[in-house]
Amino acid sequence: MKRQIPLILCFLFGVVMLLTQFSPHSLSQGIYEEVLNWARIITPFALVFSTITLLQTHITRIRRQTEHWQYSFLVFGGIAIMVVVGIPFGPQNPVFEWLFNNVQLPMDATMFSLLAFFIASAAYRAFRARNLEASLLLITAVIVMLGNVPVGDLIWNKLISLTPWADTYANGSSLMKQWILDNPNLSARRGIILGVSLGVISQSIRIILGIERSYLGGGD
Amino acid sequence: MTYNKTILYIVACTILFLYGTFAFSQEPETSPPSNVTAVDTPNDDGSSITVTWDTAEDSGIVGYKILRNTDAGEFEEIGEQLDADVSEYKDKEIIKGKEHAYIVRAITETEASVDSLQTEAVRATGQWFHSGKIQLFIAMIIFCGAILGSIYLSRNNQEVFVRRIPGLEAVDEAIGRATEMGRSILYVLGLGGVSGPATIASMTILGQVARRTADYETTLRVPCNDPIVLNVVREMVKASYLDEGRPDAYSEEDIFFLTDSQFAYAAGVDGMMLREKPAAIFLQGTFYAESLILAETGNSIGAIQIAGTDSEHQLPFLITACDYTLIGEELYAASAYLSKEPMQLGSLRGQDWGKVLIFLTIVFGVFLELIGVNWITTFLQRVS
Repeated sequence: MKRQIPLILCFLFGVVMLLTQFSPHSLSQGIYEEVLNWARIITPFALVFSTITLLQTHITRIRRQTEHWQYSFLVFGGIAIMVVVGIPFGPQNPVFEWLFNNVQLPMDATMFSLLAFFIASAAYRAFRARNLEASLLLITAVIVMLGNVPVGDLIWNKLISLTPWADTYANGSSLMKQWILDNPNLSARRGIILGVSLGVISQSIRIILGIERSYLGGGD
Repeated sequence: MTYNKTILYIVACTILFLYGTFAFSQEPETSPPSNVTAVDTPNDDGSSITVTWDTAEDSGIVGYKILRNTDAGEFEEIGEQLDADVSEYKDKEIIKGKEHAYIVRAITETEASVDSLQTEAVRATGQWFHSGKIQLFIAMIIFCGAILGSIYLSRNNQEVFVRRIPGLEAVDEAIGRATEMGRSILYVLGLGGVSGPATIASMTILGQVARRTADYETTLRVPCNDPIVLNVVREMVKASYLDEGRPDAYSEEDIFFLTDSQFAYAAGVDGMMLREKPAAIFLQGTFYAESLILAETGNSIGAIQIAGTDSEHQLPFLITACDYTLIGEELYAASAYLSKEPMQLGSLRGQDWGKVLIFLTIVFGVFLELIGVNWITTFLQRVS
């Protein structure tokens, strides 16, 4: 019974929510909005619960004095400051805004900027011409990278000017890049999207029919 | 004679002057808007009426105003003045259940106005089925039918062949490696919420991974970025440990909320990787820009990494930095593949039938386009 009630609810709501996508009637859209509101109501309760688990995690770290346990005090400090400033005065409060703009945003930007270095190291590994496929990847990558920067067309036009086809094939670098993006690249992406869409439909049917029930805990 | 001629000349000029003054003082006659119709807007919830009319070219009209009456009452102007090239107005301020009639008033350059004939009174009603989505509905019925049919056949224990998916074959290898090295396993569910299909797929894989870690007594660490996902995951992992008869090995502290901020989450998980040096890392779910930050850090500590996502923009990064990557649909097939349950495997065959159908439609559509017939393209493009 502990499993059957959630499965019945899942089936009913799954089918009803599916049908609301094909029915513009006010009753149907009302049900859709109502169910979404129920889902939104759960979030604040879960957020409180999650904050408690976060605090518990760091209390345990401090108690056990695991590696770098001192940083857990920073977590408590950060939470306390944002709560003391944010809850009574709201998110539009100048102090809260200052903290957000001058502490959180720069830290986020720092993490994001690391991506440039990670892309460089990943590209180095990916583009090593060890076999035919990797060599093709390397050549394609060079064309796309050159096509994305103005100097690509500059180099291309300089080289092509030495041949009789200078006028016919001007700006070839960016044209080739666009062709690669619009044809092989887009085709592959669409293939993946089609597969994903069918996978989502298949998974949804399994969940609605109760065949896939591991999200309830356990696989049986 | 000369005198008479002069008189005649003056009279003629006076007549011409009077005619000219009269003629040029007349405005060009503006005809009222024609073919004015009001209809219940199709495929809506009964909250609007659409008024259409024919625009007149070179008629001196600078705009239109719409007048409405309710239940045969007085006509009143509604909304702002519309431009001269507009020929449709959707009235969303109607009173439900009441009849409304409309007049379209053309406004000229001299602020003069000409009214159209009054339309028939119309009452808006909501439609139960969106006729613009009939193509989607048919496609859904076909795909669902194929999947349900395959599930039904698999109930009779028909053999279902599933091609080898290296990323899923490596799950046992990764867990075994972590066990041998005495290190933990890090499972990252991505940034998706509990309603995201990729997150649900990731959670089902986690359930299977948890069964094995329960068997091998390997530490499984799951940092979450969504509060609801955290609660579901805790229940799932706990149930997996119970099913394997190892409730004592389950540690609630290892499944915890980190943060819901994207890059703070990436920083937190990177920190865990560098401090704890897990032997195996699973990156399964929805990822955005943080995917490469996580995957490259995992790569730098030498962990075996199995990734899976349906975010096609992040796939190249994960393929580059991870040992194995589940590409798109493989992520959704993982649960069936790992559990080997016949009914779940049957749904995979249905999925393949769907792909065959799409492939045939594409080939057929291309063939028809090549011979100049484009009804299939038009039919599919009409989805609204």
